[in-house]
Formats: sequence, C-alpha cells, structure tokens
Amino acid sequence: MRFEDIKVVLLSTAALFTLVTGFIIYFVVLYRNKQIQHKQEQEHLQSAFRQELLKAQIEMQEDTLIHISREIHDNITQVLSFVKLSMAMIAGAEEKQRIERINESRELVAQVINDLRDLSKSLSFEHITKFGLVKTIETETARINKSGLIKITLLIEGEIYTLGEQRELVLFRIFQEALNNTLKHSGARDLKISLQYMPEMFTLTLEDNGSGFSFSSLDNQGGSGLKNMENRATLIGAVATIASSQGKGCKINLALNPLEKRLFTDGTHPDSFS
Amino acid sequence: MNPTAVFIITYLYDILLLLVVVIGAVRYKRLSTPFRMLTIAAISSLILNILENIFVALYRTNAPIFHLRAIIEYIFYALPYYYLFTSPTTKKIIVFSIVILIPFSIINALFFQPFHKVFPTYVNLPTLGLLVGFSLLLFKQMLHYPSKTPILKQGVFWFNTAIMFYSTTMFLNIGLSNVYINNTALYILVFYLWYSIVYIFTILVGIALLTDKEEINKTNAV
Repeated sequence: MRFEDIKVVLLSTAALFTLVTGFIIYFVVLYRNKQIQHKQEQEHLQSAFRQELLKAQIEMQEDTLIHISREIHDNITQVLSFVKLSMAMIAGAEEKQRIERINESRELVAQVINDLRDLSKSLSFEHITKFGLVKTIETETARINKSGLIKITLLIEGEIYTLGEQRELVLFRIFQEALNNTLKHSGARDLKISLQYMPEMFTLTLEDNGSGFSFSSLDNQGGSGLKNMENRATLIGAVATIASSQGKGCKINLALNPLEKRLFTDGTHPDSFS
Repeated sequence: MNPTAVFIITYLYDILLLLVVVIGAVRYKRLSTPFRMLTIAAISSLILNILENIFVALYRTNAPIFHLRAIIEYIFYALPYYYLFTSPTTKKIIVFSIVILIPFSIINALFFQPFHKVFPTYVNLPTLGLLVGFSLLLFKQMLHYPSKTPILKQGVFWFNTAIMFYSTTMFLNIGLSNVYINNTALYILVFYLWYSIVYIFTILVGIALLTDKEEINKTNAV
C-alpha cells in the first residue's frame, strides 16, 4: 500500500513535470517558427516598400522633366524667340524705338531668368528632402495658382512636425497624383488643400468642386489610380479615404498617426533602410 | 524528517532567494517595469521566508505567514502580467482579481481557514489557477507578436515559464499534501517536492531578471 502510494506521488509528479517541460519545448519551437515567418514577412514588406519608394521617385522625376520640358517649350523658348526677333529688328529702328525695344527685351530676359530660377527650384524628391512636405506643397500650389488653371486655397493647421523623409515623399507623391487628377479630369475651379498637424494625427485633405465621379463609372485606369493611392497610403501606415459622387466634386483624405512606429518608413527606426 | 536536511534545504532556499534579490537590485535600473515588480516580488518572498522561520521558532507554526504569502505573492506575481499584457480587458481582469482576492483572503483567514491553524488553500487554488491562465494568455500574446530577440534571451519567456511551472506543479503539490497529510513518510516526499518546485521557480525568476533588458522591450514594442 505504501509502495503504491509512493508510486502515485512519483508518477503524478513526473507526468506533470514532463507535461510542463513538453509544453515549454513545444512553445519554443512554435515561437522560433513564428519568428522566421515574421522575419520573412518583414523582408517582403521592406522589399515592397523599397520598390514603391523607387517607383514614386521615378514618377516624380518624370513629372519634373515633363514640367520642365513644357515650361521650356511653352514659355522660355517663346519669350527668348520674341527677344531674338526684337533684337533683330533693332538694327533698322529709330533711337527711341531702339531704347524701348532694348528695355522691353531686358524685362523679358529678366522674366525668363525668374522663370528659370523657379524651374531650378522645381519639384523633385530632393526638394522634399531639403524643405519638407509643407514647403514643397506650398511651392507646388503657388506654381499652379500662378498658372491660373485652378484656384487653390491652402490651409495649414497645428504645429508642423516632420513625418520622416520617406513617409513625406510617398505622401507628396499621393498628393501629386490627386492634384493631377483634379487638373486633368475634374474641371474644378476651386481646390481646397488642408494639412492638419495634431499631436496624434496628421491629415492631408484635397477637396475640389469639380464634376466628381461615381466609383462604378471608373474605367480600369482610373480605378487602379485610386487603388494605387490607397495602397501607397497603407504602405506608410496611412489611411486614404476617397469620397465622390457625380456633380458633387471629390474629397481625398489621408490620415496618419505620426506616433505609430512603422518599420522601414521611419528614418529613425533601427530597421529603417534609409 | 531529518532536521539537519530540513535546515539545509530551508536555508539554501533563503540564500538562493537572496541571490535573486541581489540580481534584481543590481540590475534594477536596467529592468523594465514588470521585472522591477518581479524584483519586489522576490524581496517580499524573502521577507516572508524570514518571517516564516521566526514564526516556526516562536510559535511552532508558519500557517499565518502562509495566509499572508498567498495574497502578497499573488499580487506581486500578477502585477508584472498587468504591465506585460497589451489587452485592456486582461489588465482589468488582473486588477479585478486582486481587488476581489484581498477581502476574500481576509475573510478566509478569519472564518473559513483560521490563520493560526490551517493553510489557506481556498486562496491558493484560485490564485494558482489565475496565474496558469495569465501565463497561457501571455504565451499566446508572445506568439502573436514575436520579437526579434532570441527567445532564450527574453526575460518575459523565463518569467512566464517560471509562473507556468510554479502554478501547475504547486497545484499538484497542494493536492498531494491534502491527501497524504496524515502519512508522515509520504508527507516528507511532498515536502521535498515543494522545495524542488520553489528551487526551480526561484532559479527561473533569477534567469528572467538576468535576461531582461528595458531596451529590448522598448525596441520590440508593437
């Protein structure tokens, strides 16, 4: 009887010890598998982010080149041709007319110099790196307002803080896409852009009074453009909300929690590749 | 029971506990909040052990200290979980359980299991059950948010393993104590089992305090 009791105590203890040890070993194996899986997912995310960032940079460079080429063709070349013609006609002109033409040409050349200076400050991803998102959006809106294509009202609220170079770059690229869509397709006369810097939330809103669209009427290209914006927003931890209906304009809102740590997008994070 | 063996086992345990307290105290500033709590838990265990020895010497019983130990150790071992869990619901459950168990342990000590005679198994059993539950939930949380640090270098893993091991085996120990309370030979076996459990538990807590780093917890925060 006593031996039986000892056997019960020893066996139950050994069984429980084995069970607990087995559970811990099983957990360790499971955890290591999860770590490997998680690492692979992070690498995939990192790779996707790198590709998307590169794509955004290339698109911005292309946009910049198109803009520069258009400016050179439509503005600078025209003005300089006029100056050249004007200078050619100076030879046969009277003294008074000659002075007038020279003054006029000087003013035109000064205008060209100004335009070239604006072009040199033209929008590129280096601009964001150097001046940040707010300054870059201000420059862009000033440029569009100057062109007279649309009237843009820019509103900045709260104390400005940096969102990290890479996040700002992607945000600006989304902004550019939204702006281009408004200019090309909306037929809007007014566009309100607002940037709100709250301690735990950053929002960028673009609201136009154009023709709007219904999501069902979008073709593949239009639909994929909007999807692209949403995907890019997701990649930096932002949420893009696009609201529009026929005749009621379009509103695009980007919301981002600046405190949320995102791998690869935050320049200060130890795992960031920047 | 051989008194010399009992003396050696008891005092070796106190020395081991003191060593763990020293580790916690030396590394206190580098520890994250839950592990600072764990250090306090180890200190409280050491104080209770000393009190227990005094009570045995003076009154030939350590039952009152066991009543104190049951609730104090639960509070200090549940508090690290409060800081480690990310779910607000689980945090609320921990606070709620502490709030409920404090008056219950007083009532138990006064009415159900008199503090000067009987060991507080009515408090031990629910607290051990709760600790098993917390350790399983923390293992689950760890699987959801795996950290980059190797698992054996994570203080959280060692702490949780310690609690899981202690709570489950102590459950068995209490059960065996109740069954064999009148069988001296087997009670000795249970006594040695009890010390084996607390020895292993204290070593695991020591490893947890040695491996925890506040920076690791910060970097891996999700």
